[in-house]
Amino acid sequence: MSYILQTIHLTKTMDGRELVSDVSIHVRKGEIYGLLGPNGAGKTTLMKMITNLWKPSSGSIEIFGETLTPSSYEVLKRMGSMIEIPIFFEHMSGEENLKLHCEYMGYYKQDAVEEALAMLNLNTAAGKPVKSYSLGMKQRLGIARAILCRPELLILDEPANGLDPVGMKQIRDLFHTLSTKYDITIILSSHILSEIETIADTIGVISHGTLKEEISIKELSDITTAYIELSVAHTKKAAYLLSDKLNINNFKIMDEHNIRIYELGVSTHEIARILALNDEPVNSIFKKSETLEDHFLKITGEAER
Amino acid sequence: MIKLIKLEWKKNNINKYMIRALILAAALCLFLFGLTFFGMALDPDTGKLDAPPGYDIVSPFIEFLSNISYICFSGAMLATFIVSAYKNKTMTLMFSYPIKRQKILLAQMIAAWSFSFLALVLTKLFLYFSIQIGSRYMNSVFQLDYNLKSAEFYLHLLMNSAVMVSISFVALYIGLKMRSSKATIIASVILMFLTQGSIGDFSLVGNAVMYGALLAVSLLFVVLSLCRAETRDLM
Repeated sequence: MSYILQTIHLTKTMDGRELVSDVSIHVRKGEIYGLLGPNGAGKTTLMKMITNLWKPSSGSIEIFGETLTPSSYEVLKRMGSMIEIPIFFEHMSGEENLKLHCEYMGYYKQDAVEEALAMLNLNTAAGKPVKSYSLGMKQRLGIARAILCRPELLILDEPANGLDPVGMKQIRDLFHTLSTKYDITIILSSHILSEIETIADTIGVISHGTLKEEISIKELSDITTAYIELSVAHTKKAAYLLSDKLNINNFKIMDEHNIRIYELGVSTHEIARILALNDEPVNSIFKKSETLEDHFLKITGEAER
Repeated sequence: MIKLIKLEWKKNNINKYMIRALILAAALCLFLFGLTFFGMALDPDTGKLDAPPGYDIVSPFIEFLSNISYICFSGAMLATFIVSAYKNKTMTLMFSYPIKRQKILLAQMIAAWSFSFLALVLTKLFLYFSIQIGSRYMNSVFQLDYNLKSAEFYLHLLMNSAVMVSISFVALYIGLKMRSSKATIIASVILMFLTQGSIGDFSLVGNAVMYGALLAVSLLFVVLSLCRAETRDLM
């Protein structure tokens, strides 16, 4: 499998403290990758290393098939980013800031600035100095700048910060459009689970500087789906009974004693009764369910705190 | 590189510095006119020139006033262009561009240096020409010890201005090390006293060896400010 970006055992140590430890993430072309983790987990540090602002203490980063080095300037040309709070030349207008960005990036497509401003609903404020912008407006201008030069890879650190619910929805739609229509790969970070859940194709859960899990939304959905855990003496016989007597077909034999049933319409009582009537005693039967939040808290270890 | 320098001027609002340089030149000119033509340098009791021996000529005053002004001016400019850029994080933005960091820093240094140098040269020329023209219509209490038709005068003016403005790179390095714009400006003021001040009869003003050494040290500090820029983490 080839990835547009991958980090290989990436570690960053600063003043004797390991901010990021042995992190290996894998991002496929065109997907939206969500870095999820509590504040101080190491998301920004990881993003700073990907954008070459900070250099790794050990490990490496591969972007567009090349290993990132301090002199990988061509790679930066193909990336758009917004790390931490968006920084601007405050005395200049939003439009002037974007034009300046184009000059530094060497990007001279006509109407690019107007298009980017329109995408983020900033046309009316374009001529005003950035110092007069609200936090949400600055955030949108930061995103406009990041997408301005049509990058292949977009790195956005907490892009929904300071946005109202309408603004968040608008940004989510924009990211979907960029990903599906323009084939732009997006890596975004957030500490808000629902925000990542609604937008990402793959989630990397990071906590205390380490990657706890890297999982697609599809896989995550499978994991967190509620099911009935059934423990019997003979799974083959029990499986036959489930299918034949109860018409249950969505189940999985986990091992020689356990079956996981994903059809929740049948009561545990009824299953136990039918199995018992057919000489297949039930050792145990119970419903299990886990919300996405439970799962996240479990793997980050935050639940035990 | 020229494009980068122009962009530095643009984003740092160079027009603001132009206005400041014009106000400074006008203020210096007014003060010098007061000294030279309107009796500010005369003893009120005797009506004679109140100046130490050897200071009955006008050029040391022009040089001193313009040099001290521009050592501080260029120090403040470098502080804004570079040190403040680290503090307000605009340097983080700059280093996210596909341009060598050393090239960005060098462009910032050249942008501040070239403006200060040009402004200092023009200010000095403006002062020398103003005094020269004024002396045609008013009596000067100082002797006019310079020749505007001499090539040597212009060469000396250019060299002296280049050294004075370059000294601020020492202040820049101190400011960068301490991550403080104030430290840059304070270092500029200390350098101003060091190069333009005197203790009794002892002064480093006009000491060619001293100026040469300062220029060499300034260039060394430019190199030190640039080295490791590519690999250093941007905090």
